[in-house]
Amino acid sequence: MDILLQQILNGLSIASVITLIAVGVTLIFGLTGIINFAHGEFLMVGSIVTWLAVSNGIAFPLALILGVLAVALMGFVLERAIFRFTLERPTNGFIVSLGLIVVLQHVVILFWNANQKSIPRPLTTVWEIGGVRIASVRVMVILMTIAVVAMTYVMITRSRYGRALRASVEDRDTAALMGIPVRRYITGVFVLGSALAGLGGGLLIALFPITPFTGGTMVMKGFAVALIGGLGNLSGAVAAGLILGIVEGLSAGYGFSEWTDAYSFGLMILVLLFRPHGLFGGTSGPKMA
Amino acid sequence: MNAILDIKGLRKHFGGVTALSGVDLAINEGEILGVVGPNGSGKTTLFNVVTGVHKPTAGTVTWKGKDITGIPANQISGNGIGYTFQQAMAFPGLTVLENVQIATEHSAASTRTDFAWPTPAALLDFVGISGLAREKAGILPFGSLRLLGLALALATRPSLLLLDEPAAGLNDRETAALVGLVQQFPAHGISVCVIDHDMKLMQMLCKRLAVLDFGAKIADGPTADVLHDKKVLEVYLGGEL
Amino acid sequence: MEVYEHDRSNTMIKSVSSLRSLAPVLIVLLLLALVPLFSPSNRFLSLAISAGINIIALYGLSVLFGQTGILSMGHAALVGVGAYTAALLARDFDIGFWVSIPVAGIMAAIVAAIIGIPSLRVSGHHFVIMTFAFGQLLTIILTNGGDFTGAASGLDMGKPVTMFGADLDALPRFYLLVVAFVTVSAVASWAIIHSSYGRTLRAIRENEKLAAALGIDVGRHKIGAFIVSGVFAGVSGVLLAYFLRHISPGQFASFPSIYLALMVMIGGARLLLGPLAGGILVSFLPEVLNLDPVQSRILYGACLIAVILFLPNGVIAGIADGWTWLVRMSKRRPAAGNVSEVGR
Repeated sequence: MDILLQQILNGLSIASVITLIAVGVTLIFGLTGIINFAHGEFLMVGSIVTWLAVSNGIAFPLALILGVLAVALMGFVLERAIFRFTLERPTNGFIVSLGLIVVLQHVVILFWNANQKSIPRPLTTVWEIGGVRIASVRVMVILMTIAVVAMTYVMITRSRYGRALRASVEDRDTAALMGIPVRRYITGVFVLGSALAGLGGGLLIALFPITPFTGGTMVMKGFAVALIGGLGNLSGAVAAGLILGIVEGLSAGYGFSEWTDAYSFGLMILVLLFRPHGLFGGTSGPKMA
Repeated sequence: MNAILDIKGLRKHFGGVTALSGVDLAINEGEILGVVGPNGSGKTTLFNVVTGVHKPTAGTVTWKGKDITGIPANQISGNGIGYTFQQAMAFPGLTVLENVQIATEHSAASTRTDFAWPTPAALLDFVGISGLAREKAGILPFGSLRLLGLALALATRPSLLLLDEPAAGLNDRETAALVGLVQQFPAHGISVCVIDHDMKLMQMLCKRLAVLDFGAKIADGPTADVLHDKKVLEVYLGGEL
Repeated sequence: MEVYEHDRSNTMIKSVSSLRSLAPVLIVLLLLALVPLFSPSNRFLSLAISAGINIIALYGLSVLFGQTGILSMGHAALVGVGAYTAALLARDFDIGFWVSIPVAGIMAAIVAAIIGIPSLRVSGHHFVIMTFAFGQLLTIILTNGGDFTGAASGLDMGKPVTMFGADLDALPRFYLLVVAFVTVSAVASWAIIHSSYGRTLRAIRENEKLAAALGIDVGRHKIGAFIVSGVFAGVSGVLLAYFLRHISPGQFASFPSIYLALMVMIGGARLLLGPLAGGILVSFLPEVLNLDPVQSRILYGACLIAVILFLPNGVIAGIADGWTWLVRMSKRRPAAGNVSEVGR
């Protein structure tokens, strides 16, 4: 029982990082129809920047911010230089993102080799409550994710910009006719999604060592979560992330940890078989929150 | 008269929006029926429900005595119902001839032997674009593309042809040519249902009109009578008539 | 159905022009078959053999992507099904190369169907993602398959390839074997493209809604095309297993799938010469430019992006388009714009 609780907590902390990816993926898809698989590499770059900063003696919180900023900037540049040319053909955007995966992975390997990279844990305290060992660093990851996702949610549902964004998602052309600068919103969402991935990367390396290939598995899970929740559906992604975290935690608790990676795909395939638009609706471009 | 397609109590809701609120409509053998109504009146939804694009919320569609409500789009033509689209009329990357060949190959009704245009070439001759047979459909001028769309629908050897705004985007001369073609269909055993809001076209083509407004049928009868119906005049106030 | 005179002459012209598209491929393959006469290095032959094995799978992808317009980003997994089938047949049943070929083709087709049916329930371009996800899933299954699949370290292939009692394992002979299989795949792919089935697939690529309106069962044909492409992949997997002598899950994971997609994108999927050009270009480019594996992968990724942005129909089609454009310009006739789109 104690171990189970602990495993669920572990599952949830990883699921937090995955949810951060899924939110970025779902936002970008909702507005542009582009499935950006390189989002996992954005996360990996976030980890690398955080790692570089920490290795150069910068404190973790600052390193995390640097990671977020660097990846946000990268997202901005890539959207302006590449993705905006694929807006009319989202499938091309997807294929381009696969090319980007290969480029980003190997550029990182070229400069910093393919070995595992880790940083000392930024928080080392472990609380013991009734036999359950709770690592504070995991709690930090979960809490930060909750805070950031909640902020994003409020921004999208409550603010003027959020309303304009949702209008653009519903119907890009009409929104443009109404004077909403849709192109700028697309860039904005790309940057926001990238920043979330950068944050996810910084948090991930606080939990585990990473390699240049970490992004690949993480993005597959992020996508699975986004699809399970219903592509383009922000709250759906969060709920699905929660479900996946608990499932992975439970399975590790019962000793099926080697199959952990398969659950997200299995769950995704099952959901899509019976509810092709995801558990909470969405998909095929528009609709969110 | 004999109804070949009988629509009864057809309803369609999209979320909270009612697109069709219980429409009854019969298409009789050998007639050219027009369905008119302002934008958003439910014309296109009616078309989409009959052709299997959407499943109706309630109601039935009966074809020659057989219930065909909600059957998949690709089985509609096999039953002998052909239809044309407003947009996306052809396969742009294939030649005109290939377009028609594909259309003749897949419809289960194409075993119908008493058909006026037995080959792709004959169909292209009929609509008057056989000179373009080798061209890619994607480079055809708009008027020829419409005619190709018509040829494709005909190639499935239908007994009923549903035309969705067949003259949209055509100039007067092209429209007249199209009317000339469509008017020949009943004599070849093809009933026609035209959906459009262009009253001039409808007056030329149809002896009978049905009028939709807000998802309900508000008039149905001989064209001349419908055009003087009070309710219809109200809907079209401001004078498209 | 009665056929007009007009139609018949048309058919004849068509078959002549379609033969014309096969001829250059056959000539190139014939020339390639002569390569061992010039005693090439082993390094060269190995590269050529891997390229050829990929090209076999690419001819399947060209039916799926070039004709039907759907892309598989998990195709290496289907190659893996073929390779593991061959290795397991050899290990557990002492069954050799020639029987493995059809069995692996069928196995890959079955897996393709299992992947295709749920994937196509998801609308439009999500199919691509599903193929990618299933590819990953298969790698996980192979890795967790215990002794049966050899887990992460994979399986050894103990049997040689023999034909009429002769051993084909020496590199020049194996090379010729691969060239023969490439030829068969090119001809098979050509036959599919020029059949009425191929035309149906193109109709789906061009306009799905209209295809359905004309009575084409779009979903069934898409799954069909995926299954057909799976057969090519399965066959290519058998050759791979017999060539490498050792297979492991990592060889069929995401990068090899991206690599195959890159080859088909660079060569262009709609022309019969495309897979051949793509396979050869991508395999030999790092060698020609003297790049290490990391650099060459960066180059691959950048090429994929560039091709999508600038030459969405592939390099060969791009050259052909440029040529047509030049000819048109010289004739001073207005050039008609061709709609080019990758996937859907």
